[in-house]
Amino acid sequence: MSGFAAVLRKDLRLELRSGESTLALLALSMLVLVVLVFALGAARVRSVDAAAGALWVAMVFAGMLGANRALLAERDNGAIRGLLLSPLDPSTLYAAKLCAALIFMAVAEVGAVILMVLFFNLDFDASMARLAPILALGAVGFSALATLLSAITGRTRGGDMLLPILAVPIFVPALIAGVKASAAALAGAPFESMGDWLKIMIAFDVLFVSAGYLLFEHVVGGD
Amino acid sequence: MGAHFGYLFAAYSIIFIVIFLYVMFIWRRQAALDAELRTLEARMAALAERSAAGGPTEPQSEA
Amino acid sequence: MNNPTIRNWLGFSTLALMLASLFMVFDYVPPDAEMGIAQLIFYFHVPLAWVAFASFGLVAIAGIFYLWLGDQLWDDLGYAAAETGMVFCTLMIVAGSIWAKPIWGTWWTWDSRLTMTFILWLMYGGYLMLRASADDTPQVARFGAVIGIVAALDVPIVIVSVRMWRTIHPAVLVTKQGTHGLEDPRMIWTLMVCLAAFTALWAWLLMLRFTQLRTRSRMGRLSSRIAFATAAASDPK
Repeated sequence: MSGFAAVLRKDLRLELRSGESTLALLALSMLVLVVLVFALGAARVRSVDAAAGALWVAMVFAGMLGANRALLAERDNGAIRGLLLSPLDPSTLYAAKLCAALIFMAVAEVGAVILMVLFFNLDFDASMARLAPILALGAVGFSALATLLSAITGRTRGGDMLLPILAVPIFVPALIAGVKASAAALAGAPFESMGDWLKIMIAFDVLFVSAGYLLFEHVVGGD
Repeated sequence: MGAHFGYLFAAYSIIFIVIFLYVMFIWRRQAALDAELRTLEARMAALAERSAAGGPTEPQSEA
Repeated sequence: MNNPTIRNWLGFSTLALMLASLFMVFDYVPPDAEMGIAQLIFYFHVPLAWVAFASFGLVAIAGIFYLWLGDQLWDDLGYAAAETGMVFCTLMIVAGSIWAKPIWGTWWTWDSRLTMTFILWLMYGGYLMLRASADDTPQVARFGAVIGIVAALDVPIVIVSVRMWRTIHPAVLVTKQGTHGLEDPRMIWTLMVCLAAFTALWAWLLMLRFTQLRTRSRMGRLSSRIAFATAAASDPK
């Protein structure tokens, strides 16, 4: 547990000192939202479906960028080798990296939600409270997947291009469920009405957190 | 009916053309593999020749 | 267990079964009363789907065995299966699309099955891109195994989510999938022969590619041993 805390603390401290990743994530989320506002046109900007879709596009792109940056930082300084040489269990390392990615993503998501409300002419009301658990589930699933896959793509040629190619198709079920549930939440639907979508997201999260936890050792170890 | 035959013909020809192309791809890979095998054989022959001419190599590599 | 014999035998039965299925599709079986002649694409479309999904299942099984036993053989099998699966999956989508155009009036619709197949296609396309962009090291073999397993784990959730996505959304088209209406026994016989033909073709192609990859990984090992021996022999003491 102390190893977990040490790695997590290291990642958070690095981020707090530079603030690079979070800023880049926020900037990218904002740009994606702006591009979508222009792409969809003023007429559709009031629709909650468009807002929910835009939010998830921003989340996927920002999450991808965050995962790539986190791994590049480790690789460029050869720090990943040090981490792997330490007497740290690969599963613990995975858990720590997942938590760090989740925290950065949560910060970026809060920013993205605020921007979405402003850009898409929505209101800060009770629907935000219903949106929060949906986004949290999405962030857990995405971080779990991206942390596992970026450890793979970070060590192959052309890796930063490969990450979205591998991650997005696998993320599709959570994406479908997330967009649908978010649109329902923004439209003010009760929580029970999106139960099935939430179940899909929970199943996705459980599956990929455990798959990442069990398989990470095969990805990083052995050489 | 006639127009639909066009679709049918297109579907079946595409299937057979692609399978044929895939077999060709396997064939070309096989040719490349054979070429690689020949260089390996040449290198092995060179190695054997050298060990026959320059005395026993085993003790040297041991030492 | 003579590999070339099995391979040749498989090749010949593939050829015979393919000719038989072509004869049955174009001469023996009566075309569907409603859909007309384009429905004949169905007899190759369904076997293509079966071999594509079987390949992707095999990728995951080979991945599990590779991570468990660490034998290069399993990686070669997984890679060969992913590649043949991709060929058949592409053909299935293309053939289905050509069938859909006259029957549904569109090349593509986001029907749950079509979407699911397309997502699978994207996943294994990613797998092959990873393999193509990296050298054949044990590390990359492990990456392939992990992605093969993760993709297979994802398939049930993809199926459920995509089905819900389409049923909650109003369908643009009333699809006729599920009601193929194989009321004539000749239709069932034709489908059976086509299934057998494609299974044989799949086994043959898979075996060709698998033995090729096996040979390649063995030659890679041999090459490094020769390089080592050459360096040792030319070492001037």
